Amino acid sequence: MSQISNDVEFKQALEGLSPIKQRTLAAAFVAHVLPLSHDERLNRVVSIAAVEHAMEDELLNALRSARAATFDSHARCGSEGHWNEQAGYFVARAAVAAVTPPAQSRSGGAAWQAAMSSRMARTSMLIDDGEGEPTAPAENEWQYQTLSDYLNANG
Amino acid sequence: MSASLDKGISALKQQVDASVAAFFSSCVHCGICAEACLFYTETGEPERTPINKTEPLRRIWKSEYTLVGRLGKMLGLTKKVDHKLLEEWETLVYDSCTMCGRCSMVCPVGNDITLMIRKTREGMAAAGHAPAGMIGASKRSVEIGSPMGVRLPALRAQIKHVEADTGLKVPLDVVGAEYMLLLSSMEIMNFPEFIEAIAKIFEKAGASWTIATEAFEATNSGIQIGVSDIAAELVQRIVDAAEKLKVTTVISPECGHAYTAIRWDGPNLVGKKFSFKVRHILEVLDEMRQQGRLKTSGMESGKLTYHDPCQISRRGGVIDEPRRLIDMISDNFVEMPDHGKMNWCCGAGGGVSANERADELRLKVFQRKKDQFDAIRPDAIVSACSNCRIHLEDGLEEYNMDIPLLSLTETIAEHLAD
Amino acid sequence: MTEIELLSWARGPGLQIATVIFVAGIVIRFFEILMLGRKANLAEARGSEMSGGLKTMFTRTVPDRATYKRSAFTITAGYLFHFGLFITFFMFAPHILLVKDIFGFGWPSLPTPIVDAFAVITIISLLAVLANRLNNKVMRYLTNFEDLLTWFLTLAPLVTGYIAFHRIGFTAPTLLAMHILSVELLMIVFPFTKLMHAFTLFLARWYNGAISGYKGVAS
Repeated sequence: MSQISNDVEFKQALEGLSPIKQRTLAAAFVAHVLPLSHDERLNRVVSIAAVEHAMEDELLNALRSARAATFDSHARCGSEGHWNEQAGYFVARAAVAAVTPPAQSRSGGAAWQAAMSSRMARTSMLIDDGEGEPTAPAENEWQYQTLSDYLNANG
Repeated sequence: MSASLDKGISALKQQVDASVAAFFSSCVHCGICAEACLFYTETGEPERTPINKTEPLRRIWKSEYTLVGRLGKMLGLTKKVDHKLLEEWETLVYDSCTMCGRCSMVCPVGNDITLMIRKTREGMAAAGHAPAGMIGASKRSVEIGSPMGVRLPALRAQIKHVEADTGLKVPLDVVGAEYMLLLSSMEIMNFPEFIEAIAKIFEKAGASWTIATEAFEATNSGIQIGVSDIAAELVQRIVDAAEKLKVTTVISPECGHAYTAIRWDGPNLVGKKFSFKVRHILEVLDEMRQQGRLKTSGMESGKLTYHDPCQISRRGGVIDEPRRLIDMISDNFVEMPDHGKMNWCCGAGGGVSANERADELRLKVFQRKKDQFDAIRPDAIVSACSNCRIHLEDGLEEYNMDIPLLSLTETIAEHLAD
Repeated sequence: MTEIELLSWARGPGLQIATVIFVAGIVIRFFEILMLGRKANLAEARGSEMSGGLKTMFTRTVPDRATYKRSAFTITAGYLFHFGLFITFFMFAPHILLVKDIFGFGWPSLPTPIVDAFAVITIISLLAVLANRLNNKVMRYLTNFEDLLTWFLTLAPLVTGYIAFHRIGFTAPTLLAMHILSVELLMIVFPFTKLMHAFTLFLARWYNGAISGYKGVAS
């Protein structure tokens, strides 16, 4: 029975998984913060990412959708930044990470990147709420638990 | 900051110096500057000719500082500067200009038209004729410390993520650090991985660095709207922090106009030489490379090209450094036609992206960049300005082109040798 | 007034008045510019203002390829008439003699048929330049009365000089008087128009080169 309790273990465990498994876990991470986004395209992206045997062209389309979602939601230089909208931007980025082909994934792998962006989405909401120094431990914990459950269920 | 026509005219008068007078005296209406400006080449609208944008300033120069003009003024024969003119010129001076500097490079008689437009903005803003979006950004800069309203807690939150991701500390308010990093709100909000990249690179290079909690914003809205007082105040905050922390070098991040503001305009705005150096992050990285403190491994696959951010290359002088850095991580680098100091503007700098009214125009003129990319068909585009990145991506998406934009600093960090 | 009297006046008092206004005007214009001054640059220099400024004074004469391609006609016609003006004014024997009379030194001239041919080329280029100015969207937008006036005043000495040389239409003294008067008209208007670029462009280019050179950019 393994229990992930910190980021070092978390990252290591994720990196050890196959690309397909990383993708499906990434999808789970993104799904958890999906309510923070108003972009309906991302629902579809996440559902595609969650399918183990998703086709390459499906994933490519999903990637395009997710990227488009990031462009539509990012803060414009000089405009007043709204962190609650920025949450949507990070959800979109998490979705992009989930469906990015392994070769193009940034360091840490798809699942790690999706996890980080998902946390930032949660944090963005807290910044918007004006809570002093938001730390979003809840999302971390939830992600650790999710990974632990997965590893235990799948040996 | 109450605006009035009198203040506008007064501001314009103040802006006329020997260089401005020499420039206006020499213009022969040849129109070559128009062909260097993407806001003209992609719209075909002659009012967007660069030298035409300076008309308010020209009228003041003529009627106040030339014999013929002053005689004309006495006889009531001069063209006046009034609200009607300034209102008409607002979209020319702001929406149609990023102060990219290409016009200044091609004018046969040598006019620095970009400088003239920058000076014209001082009059426009003082008279109350600047775009609402930019006025908002300036207000937020002065009152909150960031044009986008990013406050310290938000930065701290991003830093926490960065520390979790990298396992490294992001040092705040360290006295005596060698480098003090500034960040643009764009990076804090959209590209926090830039901070990660810095943390990793500097750790490997063994460089001591810090971020000042009292002055972390690099973006200078005062420069963009053209109000030197605001620009000076924003610079002074950085100067105060840098002196308080006794740092050697202040680093300007991947933001174009921030570099112009702090590196070249800064000391002139506050009226004093700096007691510290100012360098762009690319200059710092290149120096580390020269000193053997920056080691990379592996190459990017795919054909890369580099988009020169106008304020960093042409107006900033940092042209070769990015290419030497790209050489470290790519053996398939291709220059686009009109590269280096003559590269074309992304169309979004100088406040254009803060101005929603200019959205349609901005996307239209992107065609110029599209033509450049079409000519070489790169697999990825590297750049060193967050605003350029976002707006190039925006434009590429609009034209259904699938080319990723990479930050040079972040890409270097991804290739750091262990 | 007889044509001889007219010619004498043009060569004598006319030339004196024109010269005084020409020289005084240029001095005033320069004074107007330079007295405004320019603040010293307090930023840390990366390159040299002086070398940047000096270089740009000359390098700006040569357009870069992309710029040339976009404005080929304007640039070519422009250089052609400038070069033509130089040849017809400075390389024509009678003109050189005039200079020798006044200043005491001269220089070799070009054979008259060549100068004559250049006069024609220059007139044609100036006509082409006007056509371009009225045809080109940007130039048309920018063009004002002064542009047309200076164009005319630049063309007039060339045309009157040509017909004076070829004795067309009038008697020699009248033709010559017309030519000299057209030059004098050009001289008195010159300092108060964009024609000053002939001198101020060196200042403008210097400032441009200095500003860029300071940052280490060759402009």
